[in-house]
Amino acid sequence: MAFNFNWSPLTADAGFYKRARDLLTTALNKSPKPPIIVDDIIVTEFNLGSVPPDLEILEIGDLAEDRFRGIFKMCYSGDAFLTLKTRVQANPLNTCLSAKPSFTSPQPLAAASSLTIPLQITLSEIKLSAFIILVFSKQKGLTIVFRNDPLESLKVSSTFDSIEFVRDYLQRTIESKLRDLMMDELPAIIHRLSLQLWCPDQIAKDDDEPKETSEPGVNPLATPPLDAVDVHGHLLDPTAISELSLDGGPEAQLLFSQKTLLRLSDMTNSQVTSSLDTSTTKDVLIRAWAGPDRFDAANTPTATPNLARTSSYSASAHTYTFSDSSSQENGSISSRPSLVHLHSSTAGLSLGSGRHAKPGRKKKTRVVDLRSKTKTGAETAPASEQGDRTSDAASASTSNPVSEPAVLHDTLDAPDDDLASSKVRFNRSSDPRSPLRTQAPNSPLAAQVPSADIRKANPIETQASSRTSEKAKKESPAAAAAAEPAKAEWKRASTGPMSDTSSVILEQAWIMKMAGEIARRVYEEKHRNPGFWDERDDVPPPAYDEAR
Amino acid sequence: MREFMQYITNAFYGATGWNDDNTYKDLNATAKGLIDFPLPRGLRLNLSALATPHFATSYQLGTVGVVDGSISYLHSTIPLTNIAAQSDQIPLSALLRSYRRLHGLGSRDGQWCWEAEDTASAGATQTAAPTISPSATSAGSTLLYGRLYLPQSLLEALVVRRLTPELQVQLSAVSERSLRNGGTILGLLQYDRGKYGIEGLFSTDGGLLGFRGLYNFGGDTSPSTSGSPAGPASSEPSGNGQSSEKERIYGRFSAGGEVYYGTLNKSGGMSLGGRFATLPAHRGTPLTATLTINPLMGNINATYAVLAKDYCALATRMEFNVYSYESEWAVGMELWSNRRPAGFLLGADPRNLEVIPEPEAPRVKERSFQAKLEWRLDDEEPEPSPPSPPENHEEYRGVLKARMDQNLRVGLLWEGRAKSLIFSLGTGIDLRKLDEPFRSLGLEIQYSS
Repeated sequence: MAFNFNWSPLTADAGFYKRARDLLTTALNKSPKPPIIVDDIIVTEFNLGSVPPDLEILEIGDLAEDRFRGIFKMCYSGDAFLTLKTRVQANPLNTCLSAKPSFTSPQPLAAASSLTIPLQITLSEIKLSAFIILVFSKQKGLTIVFRNDPLESLKVSSTFDSIEFVRDYLQRTIESKLRDLMMDELPAIIHRLSLQLWCPDQIAKDDDEPKETSEPGVNPLATPPLDAVDVHGHLLDPTAISELSLDGGPEAQLLFSQKTLLRLSDMTNSQVTSSLDTSTTKDVLIRAWAGPDRFDAANTPTATPNLARTSSYSASAHTYTFSDSSSQENGSISSRPSLVHLHSSTAGLSLGSGRHAKPGRKKKTRVVDLRSKTKTGAETAPASEQGDRTSDAASASTSNPVSEPAVLHDTLDAPDDDLASSKVRFNRSSDPRSPLRTQAPNSPLAAQVPSADIRKANPIETQASSRTSEKAKKESPAAAAAAEPAKAEWKRASTGPMSDTSSVILEQAWIMKMAGEIARRVYEEKHRNPGFWDERDDVPPPAYDEAR
Repeated sequence: MREFMQYITNAFYGATGWNDDNTYKDLNATAKGLIDFPLPRGLRLNLSALATPHFATSYQLGTVGVVDGSISYLHSTIPLTNIAAQSDQIPLSALLRSYRRLHGLGSRDGQWCWEAEDTASAGATQTAAPTISPSATSAGSTLLYGRLYLPQSLLEALVVRRLTPELQVQLSAVSERSLRNGGTILGLLQYDRGKYGIEGLFSTDGGLLGFRGLYNFGGDTSPSTSGSPAGPASSEPSGNGQSSEKERIYGRFSAGGEVYYGTLNKSGGMSLGGRFATLPAHRGTPLTATLTINPLMGNINATYAVLAKDYCALATRMEFNVYSYESEWAVGMELWSNRRPAGFLLGADPRNLEVIPEPEAPRVKERSFQAKLEWRLDDEEPEPSPPSPPENHEEYRGVLKARMDQNLRVGLLWEGRAKSLIFSLGTGIDLRKLDEPFRSLGLEIQYSS
């Protein structure tokens, strides 16, 4: 294996120096200048020289055709030079008084008159020695990070070389400034240059990036809820939340490639538009082809980038405590043990399947629900409910638990809390299935999750479901409408007043009793804490909303 | 427009008999006022009041995108009874006029000066007694001033105290969080002997020490024409003796310098300057010329201001730096108008034709009638007529100020009185960028009671 580093092609490019000069000029003028500098700093000359730096490869972390990651040791003592031009204020009294309030200014008559002097500074004989971490990929360009302070020495020659005091001062100031530049600005400049060289189409995207990240859809943890609570309803402190960032750690960068995400979103888009051609993704088994179930094409879009992201997180088995309103909800429920086991999985499942009907639209509401607290969730809830009602009933039979938010909770919940959370999860009927569920979008196994599993579980659940919580009851009209043509067990499972199940009278009486009990509890709860329940009463809680 | 508190502070100086012109700092105040007048930005409202003769308040509310404001209070130990604080009575020239006529030197070196000033002030204002008796007892008079800018929570404080009739100390302080050490204090010790005035200052900002002084010679100060200062004060008696003097340009020379040294940041600065200004006794066109030199920075600054007519003042300024060969020029103009502001804006007919004859003609007739009735007041009545020129000054309802510099940046300011509001409407225009020439626009309205 051999590496061939070319120093000259950079310099051979005619426009390279001009671009580099422009970039340096903008970088130097970006930060507010001290009052002593009264004009823009202009880079007039810039030359990388002919002597290449010495590179020593210390470690190569990743190597492929289109990407590279390695650590280098670089030594440079070449003949590169840089010339800057600006104008400085030579009157110390002027600069001293310019930033001070005029009320206490001594108001000198002419002693503070300005004398601006053009200043030319040449930096040469730059000696560098640094450990460099270099990451290159065709999509993302070149990223360079210095592990240590790279600047060993340099020579500053200026207009004021004859005055020793000024020369020393300039030397000191510029060295410190240049250290900052090397550590902070240079990586950004190199990154931009590399983007221009290798993937010019990325530049526009690069500019769009801040907008995209500020959009609510991309990172649900970018702006955590104001008063976040964990699974048990305890308040989380903000530092803990900041650790939860989805794309913060380096492992997150490695887990999913941008290309795959792009393809997935491409595929999603191709489904919501009338595009005839679906881009193919390698090594992916699409459930519509694999499973015997009636998977319609609308199921595939669930593999949105967001989902892919979260599932890859589950693969990495990291411990995340997800803290949005739904987990808060669950926490509050789990604090009341009598209600915990009452959750009907069928309700959750039927609702969850219903939500696949309109993926494009769902995506938005789901995203909002994820990030927002209960209030915003409540606002968006009616819209999604509407969508569910219109959803085709056939999809109700798709028992595959690919409902994204559920997966999100599963994966984001800490494994330690598994016991509690598995109880709480209404859409997780049996524990063995949950690993499959979390891998649903990526692994072909997910396609083979038998709906029979659920049916087997159903007899048990029907009893449980008859004791649904008051929320499930509220949902049940919609659920029943959605699950209309499903199997008999399913029909029995949906326990709304609309359902025409031929249950035993005894059972019905029991239901009535339980309903009364629940209503009483609700009433009490409401009485105790009216604000808490008010939000939940008129609209479905966010957890349910997401589960659909 | 001078702010109300500035006006009150000047009134305090007037009441204590302090000549605030006699400092090197204000050597070229005339040209600076004519050229570097501040342009209002955004909308600004001032509500001020001289609640008691000792106490004044001022509230300011402004908006330049964001709303801000300030609250200020002023307390004076001596009563400020002889000034008009109501905004419909404040003489506009006191607030708006930039051309400064030299006062008679309020020098305390000779007793005769007291008397001369005494008679002069007695003629001008009826409050001669409070002016003079405090000047003897003004030794202990103090002015306290505080101002709080609200959103920034910036606090300004000023203490002025007369220690002796010649010695005055000023302490000004600013407190703000963003400043280093939370604020700065400037101490100023002023010593005015009339013939010369010196100041020493100390600022906590950089440990700045400063010294500046001004020396007057020629004109009324020179002993050879010691009779003349008494003459100009009351021009009538010495009219024949001064005729030859008045044909010549009659004025006063002043020369001074300043030195600063920052003890903490080891920086310094200095400048030298000179001024020639005609005295009020001069019958010709009043003019002021200054020249300042900064030998360290090679800066030469020359200004020339002239009061061409009573309603028109012009000023020019040239600046040149012998080291960097940079040069600057600027011209400024002040044009007083006695039309009503609305009439001026609408281009209505000038009112001066009607206004001026009205007060003068009837008065003369009345006097003549009265004289006829009372037999003997013919000769003595014309004495009050000299106050009529000040009344003519009061006829001015507005002033248009304009300036232009070498970058073709034009500043226009229209100030005046509408009803009992004093307004100031200004704009900055950049003639280099004609596609969007207006750089700033502002309106300031002041009401005081």
